[in-house]
Amino acid sequence: MHSTKLGWLLLAPTLLVLFFFGVLPFIYVLYVSFHQWNPFAVNPDMVFNWAENYRRVVFDAQFLASLGVTAAFVFFAVISELILGYMLAQAFMKDFPGKAIFRTIHTLPLIMAPIIVGSIWKLMTTPSIGILPNLLDNWFGYDLNIGQSAIAAFVTTVIMDIWHWTPLVTLTLIAALVSLPPDPFEQAQIDGANKRQIFWHITLPMIRPAILATVFIRLMDALRTVDEVLMLTGGGPGSATRYVGVHIFKEVFPRTNYGYGSAISVVVLYLTIVACWLLYVGLIAPRNKKA
Amino acid sequence: MSFAVRLGVSALALSVAAGSAFAQDDEFWAKAGEQFQGVTLRGVTEATPPSNYISDVLAPEFEEKTGIRVEIETTSWDQMYDKAIKDMEAGTGIYDMVYIEQDIVYAYLARDFLVNVTQALEENPDLKAPSFDEADFTTFADYFRGDDGDLYGIPMEAFIKIYLYRTDLFSDPEVQAAYKEKTGKDLAPATTHEDYQAIAEFFTQWGEDHDMDLWGTTAQAHTGHPASWYEYVESVAPTFGVYGWGIDPDNNYAATVENGGAMNSDAAKAALKWWLHMRDIAPPESVQSTWTEVATTFAAGRAAQGLVYGENAAWIASDDTKSRVVGNVGVALPPLQDGVMEAAESGEGYIGYYDGGAFGLPVTSKNRDAALLFLQYIGQESVQPGWAVAAPRITHTATYDDAGVQDMNTELGGYYDMLKDQGRLFAGAPAYPFHAQLREAVAPIFYEILTGSIEPDAGLDQMAEKAEQELTDLGYRQ
Amino acid sequence: MRKNRPWLYSLFWIVVSFLTLFPIYWLFVISVKPAVDLFSTPDILIKSFYWQNYIDVLNDRTLRGYMVNSLVISTGNAVLCTVLGFFACYALSRFDMGGKESIFFWTITNRMAPPAVFLLPLFLLMTQVYRIGDFSLLDTRIGMILVYCTFNLPFAIWTLRPTVDGIPKELDEAAYVDGASPWKVITEVVLPLARPGLAVTLILTWVFAWNEYLLAATLTNFNARTLTTGLSEYVTTTGTEWGIMAAISVFTLIPALIVFGLVQKHIVAGLTFGAVKG
Repeated sequence: MHSTKLGWLLLAPTLLVLFFFGVLPFIYVLYVSFHQWNPFAVNPDMVFNWAENYRRVVFDAQFLASLGVTAAFVFFAVISELILGYMLAQAFMKDFPGKAIFRTIHTLPLIMAPIIVGSIWKLMTTPSIGILPNLLDNWFGYDLNIGQSAIAAFVTTVIMDIWHWTPLVTLTLIAALVSLPPDPFEQAQIDGANKRQIFWHITLPMIRPAILATVFIRLMDALRTVDEVLMLTGGGPGSATRYVGVHIFKEVFPRTNYGYGSAISVVVLYLTIVACWLLYVGLIAPRNKKA
Repeated sequence: MSFAVRLGVSALALSVAAGSAFAQDDEFWAKAGEQFQGVTLRGVTEATPPSNYISDVLAPEFEEKTGIRVEIETTSWDQMYDKAIKDMEAGTGIYDMVYIEQDIVYAYLARDFLVNVTQALEENPDLKAPSFDEADFTTFADYFRGDDGDLYGIPMEAFIKIYLYRTDLFSDPEVQAAYKEKTGKDLAPATTHEDYQAIAEFFTQWGEDHDMDLWGTTAQAHTGHPASWYEYVESVAPTFGVYGWGIDPDNNYAATVENGGAMNSDAAKAALKWWLHMRDIAPPESVQSTWTEVATTFAAGRAAQGLVYGENAAWIASDDTKSRVVGNVGVALPPLQDGVMEAAESGEGYIGYYDGGAFGLPVTSKNRDAALLFLQYIGQESVQPGWAVAAPRITHTATYDDAGVQDMNTELGGYYDMLKDQGRLFAGAPAYPFHAQLREAVAPIFYEILTGSIEPDAGLDQMAEKAEQELTDLGYRQ
Repeated sequence: MRKNRPWLYSLFWIVVSFLTLFPIYWLFVISVKPAVDLFSTPDILIKSFYWQNYIDVLNDRTLRGYMVNSLVISTGNAVLCTVLGFFACYALSRFDMGGKESIFFWTITNRMAPPAVFLLPLFLLMTQVYRIGDFSLLDTRIGMILVYCTFNLPFAIWTLRPTVDGIPKELDEAAYVDGASPWKVITEVVLPLARPGLAVTLILTWVFAWNEYLLAATLTNFNARTLTTGLSEYVTTTGTEWGIMAAISVFTLIPALIVFGLVQKHIVAGLTFGAVKG
C-alpha cells in the first residue's frame, strides 16, 4: 500500500500532544513515586527512598480496601450501563412517535457536570430532607440513609453512575449499529435464524470493537471517578465509597502526600492497563487472528 | 435586610465618608501608588462574605486611590489551599495575596512561605501607611505572628464557634412547663453537658410528640467529610478538658495515654460518647452534615440548640432571605465540664474554637511592595465598620464601639459582646504545622466510629496510635 | 418484535424518560427554592417559584466570562480531538506501520491516569517549561484545550477506530486508482462515510471537556476559568448556595442542548450509509 511515511505524518500531531501532556507528566509522577515527599513534613524536600512507597502500597490495608470497593463499583456500574445502553440503542433503531424528543431527553444527563450531578443526588438522598428517602419511606417503609448505611451509599453511587453514563454507551452503540451493513441480517432472516441467534452470531461480533471501546472508556472513567462521589458522600460512610480516585485525591490534596500518592497512582494506572490489556487481548486478538 | 443590600448600603456610606474624613490618607495612597502604575495584584480566597467585600468594595476603592488593580480569585475551600500551596511551593509567583485560614498559618510559617509584614514595613518606611497600625487589631492577630512576634498576615475575619439556642422555644411557657415537669429544672441555656443533653432529649421528644420537624440539637457529623472530626476535636473535646487534639507537643508529640498524650484518654472517650449520643438525637440529615448543613438545619428551625460556627451565626440571626429563625436566636457559651472554665480563664485551656483568617503575602510574589500597600489598606481601622456590618466579622478592637456594629450586636443577640468579652476563652487551632496531614491520617478511623463499625473507645485508641505513627513518618515525633 | 407496535415503544420511552428526567426536574426544583426551604420535608411538586437565584446568576458578569471560556475551550478541544483522532485512525487503519497496534493501545493509557496526582507535573510544566518569556500556558484557553487532549484524544481515537475500520478499503483504492490525492481520499471519500462516528465523537469529547472540573480548577486562575470551576465558588464554609448552583446548571444546559441538536442530526444521517457498504 502507500508509504508508511504518510501514516506517521498523520499520526504525528497526536503523538506530540500526548507526549507533552501525557508522557512527560507521567515520567514526573514516576520519578516522584520513588521519593519520600510531603512538603509539610519536617524535611519538606524530596528524599529518594528506593521502592519503599511501593512496598508500603502492597501492605496498605486502606488502599487495598479502596481497591476492593472500586472493583465492585466499576463491575456493577459498567455491566449495568452496557446492558441498559445496548437495549436502549436497539430500541432507538426502530421508528416510533416522538423518537427525536426521547433521544434528546436521553442525552440530558451527559451534559451535567459531575460536580452538579453529585450535588443533585446529595440533595435528593440526604436523610429526612431528600425526596428519595421520603418517597421510599412512604411507599415501601424503607429507610434510605446514605450517611449511615454502607450498602445504601454504595448502591446510590452505582445508580448515580448508571444514570449519568448510560447515555454515553447508548450513543456510541447507536453509532456502531447504524453503521452495520444490512446484508448479513437479511441473509440470516432468509435462513430462518431466530432473534437470539442473530444477536449472538451476527450483531455481537460485528459491534464487538465498539462495545470494547465503550467498556474501556467507562471502565477507566469509573476508576477515575472523583467529583461526583466526593460531592455525594465524601467517600463515606466510613470508607464505603472511598474509591481509588477519591482515595488518591485525599492523599495528595489535603494530605499533600505527594511521594506516596504518586506511587499509588502508578500502581492504579498499572492495574488499569493490565485489566484493559486482558480485555483487549481476550476480545480483539481472536477476531484479528480469524481475519 | 439581606447581606447584598447591606453591602450596597455600606459601600455607599463608605464612599460618602471617604470624601471628607480621609483626605489626608488619600494623599498618601495616591503618592505611594505612583510607582506601581500598571501593576495588577492577584489574590486567592474563598467566596465568603468577608472576601466578597474585599473584591466588591475594598479592591475597587484601593484601585481608585492608588491606581493599582486588584484581582481576587474566589474558589472552594479545599481548592484554595491546593492552589496557594502549589504556587508557593513551586515559586511560580501567581499570587500576591493568599488567604490564610487560622489553622494553616503554622504550616505556612514553618515553610517560610510568607513575608514578614512588620519587618518589611520597617525596612521600607515610605510604604508604611499612616492609617495602619498593628496595635489596632484584636488579640486574634496574635495567631498570625511568628515566633519573633512579627505579623505575617492581616486578619480579615474572626469568629467563635458558639452555642446557639432558640429563644422562642426556650421562652415558650408551655415548653417551659413541660420541661420542668419532666426534669424538675427550669429551662435555660445549658452550662453543663448533662443539662445540654437533657434539653436535647426533651426537644427531640417534643418534636416527635407534636409531629414537628424539630430536634434537640445539631450535630456536624458527616461520615465522610472532615467537618465531623473538627466538631469533635475543636468544639466538643475541649469542653471535656481535652486540648490540642489530645496531642502533647511538649512531650514529643505524644497522642496515646501510654506515651503521655490524651487523644484516647478517659475524658476524650467520654466526650466522644456524649457527642455520639447527641448525634443520635439530632436531625437525621446530620450524618451528611458539614458546617454548612448544620447552619442551614438551624436556620430552617429544625434544631432547638446547637454549636454553630460564628460566621453562620450572624446570618442565621439576621438574614430573613436565608433563615426562618430571625429574631429568635440566642447566643451562649458552650456547655462545659467542671474545671474547664477555670483552665480557660488561666490560659491553660479553652472552651471552643476561635476561627478566622488573614490575608498574607507569599515570598514568591512579584509585586511585594504593591501588595504591602493593599494589605495595609484592608487593615486600616477606617474601613472596618462598613466591613463588619456587611459581612459580620471583627478584627479591630475599636470596631466594637461603632454605632452600626452596636446595632448589629443587638440584632445578633449579643454575639459581638460575647466575641469581645469572652473571645479570650476560645482558642484557634493548635500550633501544628501538620494540621491537614494529621487530620487526613486519623479521620478515616473517625468516620468508621461514626458509622458504628468500630467502638468509640477502640476507635480512639486506634486514632491515637495512628496519629503517633503519622507524626513519626512526618518526622515530628522522634 | 415482529409486529410493529410503535405505541409500545413510546410507552417504554416515556417510562425511561421519566427516570432520566427526574433528577433534572429536581435540579430545577432546587433552583426555584430559597436555600432554607431545602431543609424541610420535600414536596414532589413545585408550590411556588422563587426566581432570585436566576436573577443573581443573570446579574453576575463574571459568570458570563466563564460561560464564554467554557464554550471556547470545549468546542476548540472537541474539534481538535476529533480532527486529530480521525487522522490518527486513518493512519492506524490504512497503513502498515510497525507497532501500530501497540501505539493504538498506548494512546488509551493516557486516559487511565488518576487525575489528582498529575495536576502537579502539569502545573509545573505549564508554568515553567511550556512558556515563552512572560507567556505561559497556565490559565490560558489554548493551554486548557491542549491539556484536555490527554483524556479526549484517546477517547476520539478509540471511538473512531471501529468506524474508520468499518469503511471498506476498496473505496479508497478505487479513488486512488482514479488519481485522487490522499488528502482528497480522506476528506471526500472516508470523511463523509465516517460522519455518524465523527458526530458522536464530537459530541462526547465536547461533553467531557464541558464538564471537566479538577484540571480546570487547578490550572486556571483568572483568565480561563470555566463554568464548572465557577460552580465551586458557591461551596463555601458559610453555606453551599445550592439554589444558585442549580440555576447556573440550568443555564449550562442551554448551550449544551444547542450543540447536541446541531450534531445529533448527523448521527441519524448515518442510517442510510449501511446500504453503501454492501
